Amino acid sequence: MVAAFDEDASFVAALREGDQHAFSQLVRHHHRALLAVARGLVGESEAEEVVQLAWIKAHRALPTFEGRSALRTWLSRIVINEARMQLRSRRREVFLEDLAVEGDDALADRFAASGHWAQPPHRWQEDSPEALLTAEQLRDCLERLMREMPDNQRLLLEMRDAGGIDFDEICNTLSISASNARVLLHRARSRLFRLVDHYEETGEC
Amino acid sequence: MLKCRQVPEQAEKLLAGDLGWRERLSLRMHLLICGYCRRYMRQLKLLLRSVPFLHGPASDDEVDKVITRVQCDRESHHH
Repeated sequence: MVAAFDEDASFVAALREGDQHAFSQLVRHHHRALLAVARGLVGESEAEEVVQLAWIKAHRALPTFEGRSALRTWLSRIVINEARMQLRSRRREVFLEDLAVEGDDALADRFAASGHWAQPPHRWQEDSPEALLTAEQLRDCLERLMREMPDNQRLLLEMRDAGGIDFDEICNTLSISASNARVLLHRARSRLFRLVDHYEETGEC
Repeated sequence: MLKCRQVPEQAEKLLAGDLGWRERLSLRMHLLICGYCRRYMRQLKLLLRSVPFLHGPASDDEVDKVITRVQCDRESHHH
């Protein structure tokens, strides 16, 4: 199940006042997504420490959180800064080793030579993230797909769609062009779309 | 005239606010006449709203580990 998570004004106010229960809820809801961003930037072995340090910084900074961005985005930025500091201290840089766009666009074969849909998208039954992600089998399949995705495509998806980081910031952090970032992100999204669409059609993936 | 094949990329540019008015108009016109692309667009938006939830909540152990570190930091700051 997708945990309902309400970032309403009273929750943010509780966080700013140092409410520990609210902080625990915040950690529970965002920790794994933040780990995924850190993994893409510093690698598996250092990701945990980067996120732990980011939580310490976030906890100190929460009283001054102004709510100009979503909490997920604010937290992701802290993780990215922490990752960059960690890399700098080791004289390394964030860079995507392989900028090549691997494989075909996952939706390419859904179109006819005329440019029209040859296999149009199926009608999905669900109309909310909660409903879509209720099916455990689909969640497992999506997790596996994310694991197997080329690193560069996964990182773009984690930063932009899961972390809410804007394009310019991503391009600066990763030293890649906007057009390259767009293609990588599009490839990642198309893979997810194809998998969900297949699941909606057949009930398996 | 925009083809269905171009819609996935144009749809993402639209959502990112990266389409000029001509391209935006062209996409809107296409969506008016093409039910499959309207469906694609609607489901893409749902998918993108779902991505932040893909990881699921952290376990009690993971949460405790963070809270312990944060408390240690706070105490060392107070002393």
